[in-house]
Amino acid sequence: MIKFLRTILLLDLLQGLWVTFRNQKPSYIYTEQYPAERPQVAERYRGAPRLNIHPESGETLCIACNLCALACPETLIVVGSERNEKTRRKELTIFTYDTSRCMFCGLCEDACPVDALELTQDFELASYTREGAIWDRQMLEEGPLPKQYKR
Amino acid sequence: MPDLPYLKPLLITAVVILVFPLVVGYIVLAERKVLADYQVRLGPMRVGPYGFLQPLADAVKLLIKEDIVPAASDRFIFWIAPVLSTVTALTAFTVLPLSEWIYITDVNIGLLFVLALSSVGILGIILGGWASNSHYSLLGALRSAAQMVSYEVAMGFALVSGLMVAGTLSMQGIIQAQRDRQIWFAFENYGLMMVPFVVYAIAAVAETNRAPFDLPEAESELVAGFHTEYSGFRWSLYMLAEYANMFAVSSIAVTLFLGGWLRPFPSFAWLHFPLNVAFPAGLFLLISFGCLMGSRKQRGHRVNTGIMLVLTAATAGLGGAFLVPQVNERIIGLFWFLFKVSAILYCYIWYRGTFPRFRYDQLMRIGWRYMIPIGMGSLIVNGVVLLWSRRGAAL
Repeated sequence: MIKFLRTILLLDLLQGLWVTFRNQKPSYIYTEQYPAERPQVAERYRGAPRLNIHPESGETLCIACNLCALACPETLIVVGSERNEKTRRKELTIFTYDTSRCMFCGLCEDACPVDALELTQDFELASYTREGAIWDRQMLEEGPLPKQYKR
Repeated sequence: MPDLPYLKPLLITAVVILVFPLVVGYIVLAERKVLADYQVRLGPMRVGPYGFLQPLADAVKLLIKEDIVPAASDRFIFWIAPVLSTVTALTAFTVLPLSEWIYITDVNIGLLFVLALSSVGILGIILGGWASNSHYSLLGALRSAAQMVSYEVAMGFALVSGLMVAGTLSMQGIIQAQRDRQIWFAFENYGLMMVPFVVYAIAAVAETNRAPFDLPEAESELVAGFHTEYSGFRWSLYMLAEYANMFAVSSIAVTLFLGGWLRPFPSFAWLHFPLNVAFPAGLFLLISFGCLMGSRKQRGHRVNTGIMLVLTAATAGLGGAFLVPQVNERIIGLFWFLFKVSAILYCYIWYRGTFPRFRYDQLMRIGWRYMIPIGMGSLIVNGVVLLWSRRGAAL
């Protein structure tokens, strides 16, 4: 009898309407206005690679040991070095990192003995060409520079 | 204006034809925004402040889109079908009583005229679906025809109940009857008229092909139903027709059951100030205040302050206009009519955000097994109660 009355008075439908109505609180919205509003990525997020430089001297921290290139499962890191006869040390000449093949596993940053290579929290890696995805030493040191849009 | 009897109708016709596409654009924007609210999203936000100029962007996009006509289609019928839909939908506006003095014409068969036009409007959908020469379109058109024909019967019964109480088919006459009897017809006959009102409200949703009865254009089954092959301006004509139909059907509900341009409780004189002056003025001033608040920087993105301030001024001016007695008495009818229609249109969007689509056999079962018998029964019961309650009085 009660079920019959509920059907006749369309109570179930009204209940459904109420559910949708009470759920439209502005505080529930977690839509992100992406270019205007930057997303907060987690601290342990692994994004764009960066080759750290010494904050004071501006010289690279990389000692060209090639451990990252060996650790990389995709072998996408190429490290070139030459011996400096004066200081008798290995010096970094080229460093390329192919972000198009990278799966951001972070093994390279674990392998780095001097904390030179690091995966940062930047995530804007898009480029218009395939070649643009292969980062050279300068780009790795400066980090990605996405175009800033207004509004 | 005795010397220029055609001036006012022509003027209103021109305004309706020019303004209504824009109104439809904003109904669509409101629909997207309200649906976004239900789904805890933001909706359009990019064009103009809070997506306010989105309808204009959409209109420009639709107008400059490539006009595609399928090679195997029947070109003439493909061309004429959306026109037919739009023209019939907009013709229904001729008899809508927007207020006591804003109406194009008041014919003595007004309601019948609207019903007839909405039946002809189906033809546009069937022709469009057939001329596209596509299975999806044809199936959508077939479903549409079957659905509209079956729900029109239930809708007719509900309307006849209303007519019986009103005693006239003229739209203005129906509102006058509600004013004379000092009650909205949804509450007439000791509340029994609520039944045809609900039947009408459900049948109207089915009649306008809206969710949960949107089988003719069920996007998960039929791509887009009868207008699958349509794009650009022709498609926008179909959309215009659909929203014009929604508006017309809601207007009939408002006219016949909810007192048209009468304010709530028209018989209580002391409610004149709170309902006719304070309510509209307060409503628009509230919207104005909202626009002012919204013109500030929100959630890390800049808002176009100029447009928001223009909106603030416009709505504040509109609210202020209701405080001037001479202006108030000219526009208060229009306000109440549009307010009630908007409330019903909001419910349409609400249904769409809540109810899942019916299966085809469920749709037909609701129509034939429940709506039509209930409509018939309420017609008989209302007739008997009406005769009994008005015994002695001249019918």
